[in-house]
Amino acid sequence: MTILFYILGYLAVAGFICMAYLKIRSYMAASPLHVRWELYPVPHEGSKTVYGGSFMEEKDWWTQPRHISHWGDIKALLTEVLFLHATFEHNIKLWVRSYPFHVGMYMLMGGTIIVLCAAFAQLFGLNPQGGLMLFVGNVINAMVLVGTLCIIIGGIGLIERRRNDDGLRRYSTPEHYFNLVIFIVFGLLGLAAWAFSPSYFELARTFIYNLITLNFAPQTSMLFSLHLLVGFFLLIWIPMTHMGHVFMKYFTYHDIRWGDEPTSYSEKNKQKILEALKFNVTWSAKHISGDGAPKSWVDVATTNPTEKKED
Amino acid sequence: MKDNLRLTDVSTVEGQMVSIDLKEIPELAVDMHTMPWKPFTDEQKENTACILDEVSVLNIPKPKSREEEEELVNKFLSGMRKLFTKENNWTFLPMLETSMDYCAQCNSCSEACHLYEMSGENEMYRPNFRSEIFRRIYKQYVKKEPLAKWRYGDMDLNWKTVARLGELAYRCNLCRRCAQTCPIGVDNGLLAREIRKLFSQEMGIYPRELHERGTMNHMKAGSSTGMTPEVVKENVEFIDEDYTEITGVGIHTPFDVQGADIMLLHNAGEIMAWPENIASFSLIFQEAGLSWTLSSKALAYDGVNYGVFYDDAQTARIALQHMMAAKELGVKKIVIGECGHAHKALTVIADRVIPFEYQVPRESCYVTLRDIVMSGRLKLDPSRNNFPVTLHDPCNVVRLMGIVEPQREIIRKIAPQFREMPHHGVDNYCCGGGSGFAIMTRNNIEQWRGNISGRKKMWQIAEAFKDCLGPETRKYICAPCSNCKGQIREILEHNDLYTKNNFAYGGLVELIVNAMTNVEPGFIKFEGEEGAED
Repeated sequence: MTILFYILGYLAVAGFICMAYLKIRSYMAASPLHVRWELYPVPHEGSKTVYGGSFMEEKDWWTQPRHISHWGDIKALLTEVLFLHATFEHNIKLWVRSYPFHVGMYMLMGGTIIVLCAAFAQLFGLNPQGGLMLFVGNVINAMVLVGTLCIIIGGIGLIERRRNDDGLRRYSTPEHYFNLVIFIVFGLLGLAAWAFSPSYFELARTFIYNLITLNFAPQTSMLFSLHLLVGFFLLIWIPMTHMGHVFMKYFTYHDIRWGDEPTSYSEKNKQKILEALKFNVTWSAKHISGDGAPKSWVDVATTNPTEKKED
Repeated sequence: MKDNLRLTDVSTVEGQMVSIDLKEIPELAVDMHTMPWKPFTDEQKENTACILDEVSVLNIPKPKSREEEEELVNKFLSGMRKLFTKENNWTFLPMLETSMDYCAQCNSCSEACHLYEMSGENEMYRPNFRSEIFRRIYKQYVKKEPLAKWRYGDMDLNWKTVARLGELAYRCNLCRRCAQTCPIGVDNGLLAREIRKLFSQEMGIYPRELHERGTMNHMKAGSSTGMTPEVVKENVEFIDEDYTEITGVGIHTPFDVQGADIMLLHNAGEIMAWPENIASFSLIFQEAGLSWTLSSKALAYDGVNYGVFYDDAQTARIALQHMMAAKELGVKKIVIGECGHAHKALTVIADRVIPFEYQVPRESCYVTLRDIVMSGRLKLDPSRNNFPVTLHDPCNVVRLMGIVEPQREIIRKIAPQFREMPHHGVDNYCCGGGSGFAIMTRNNIEQWRGNISGRKKMWQIAEAFKDCLGPETRKYICAPCSNCKGQIREILEHNDLYTKNNFAYGGLVELIVNAMTNVEPGFIKFEGEEGAED
């Protein structure tokens, strides 16, 4: 049973990585090159970003070197991820519930990374009872308390909002509630494990240390074990749902909303256009299918459907 | 009805699903009436699927038998499958898939939508309403995901669902203001356009103004207006003559000048409806000493590309012909006239559709004009424009291309009483005629534009001029986009706002010409004061 528990842990991590990989691969494979579909403001436009301007405001812009402010992109993404800026600006009633919920998750995710580092430090000889580890332990225990409370409060708030807002209720499916309940349970079990154990950090670090050293020692806290089991489920479940936006947001922002690279600056894209135009088209409407003969996008684009064929 | 409307009603309700109560529509500071809906005739009800609301854009024939109902559904499903293949939809598939899979149903987009707000917050106008129906169908009937009904919600798929979804795709101006607010990057405007594509490209269902009278006419006659090359040249010659007389400056519009620096691409609708716009461009370019030309080649004297509103194949065909004409003339760049969707179609969309070897660089006329005005090549007297001026931002040029400042630099230089609208720049609202509606007038579409889609723009205009509303002060609405002008014209005319408020509307070039010192004064006419002006 103990080994099974650890196996589930490995599977959860591997499952998350695989599912995220599959989703990202599917996105990348969907098209060799999609059209430009940018939406302003685009944050890498430097001083123009303030008012939503673009390089296309410049005379003969194609003759100028292309300047991209990567720092602008990073700043915008951090503002969005850390503060949920768009929700704050456009849906404040949701933000007051969603923000603590997300902060709670960030706390636990960040905490997990710190614990992972602590486990590796232990592996490389750092005294688990030493001062540094004690300090890290106190930080983690504080983060877990705040994080789990945030998830519970935010999660309950989000359910309440979905139940009581007339608009949101119509669009909420059983899965929305299920997801929120699962997170709340995860938070409650984490909080209980924190409350009824001498140190949550000790439990977490020991588990991760055992995981990386293949030492399948039994768990000492039932609450912590249940908390982890729910966490394993979430790791696999998140990429399978709309919550996959945790990693897909990179693409919806960087590749689509801010994806403004003109073809004149990209030799790679020049080739990709030629590739894509060779795809066969099977749309059935008369103005595309014409005489029904197989055709590529090149054939379609170079055909005038109003011209009568001369035999 | 709005309080009870559920997503599943699209497949269950018999007859008209939604009724927009005109009493729910917000009132404005300017005297803008609501226009009563004209009821559908018995014949329309019998033969057409006018079952969504008071409007019918697509005129989908009502199925007469079980077989016809099934045929409609099957064609729709066939199109939906193709929409999600790389081969048929490489242009938009990544955006489509992310918008299908990652929406958190937070409804942050609702408040951003002018249609939702101005319909009195009718549920049907939430940007997510049509998207969610589309998603549920996809997950349940195309992707056939396990537990789809539980996970994403149930949706019965029958002919009513299909017909209503098609119509719903045309209750959106494709302005993408909703997409701007989405925390995740979901794009409900894109989904509306993808549904339009599915109907057009697979089912052969489209608004006749966009297809038969739009893109097909463009490819057949040479222009969506129906003007042939000969007619265009004649009309422009007349415009030159007329405006030489009006302005007192000899105007000559060049055609087919081989090796010119610039090929100017107008929306040909200007030639017929706003000749002063054509004349103004010719006058400015001529006085600035540019090397430029129009093309008289079929398709290339009309910059419109209605394909961007509903069909990728038509978009590509027209964009390719625009590029080819410029290549043949050997120009250094195409300058796109005052037409928003022509800007986006040729500059942004065509950029990754037309092979690079066929591309000619494209520049917005706002940029070219800014260069002319700021370089001092024209003698301008801003006091000639000493009346309140506000600027409309065409979505396609501003939010979707980031061309925000050039037009403002010009106006700040030549119009001393310039004032911004609330929510200007990339936060602007659609004029209400976006995505093809400006050219549609039937089956309550003009009522829809007056009652709902164009209302927020008029609110913005009224706010911009709130200190000088009324007939005493002349006011100029600068709308540098042909379709936007058409929409604004209709609202002003219908509500008699020319006389009640002394509004004039027009483009950017007219405002520049009005300030040119070598032009007879009073180029811009304020119809409310026609007698005084004349």
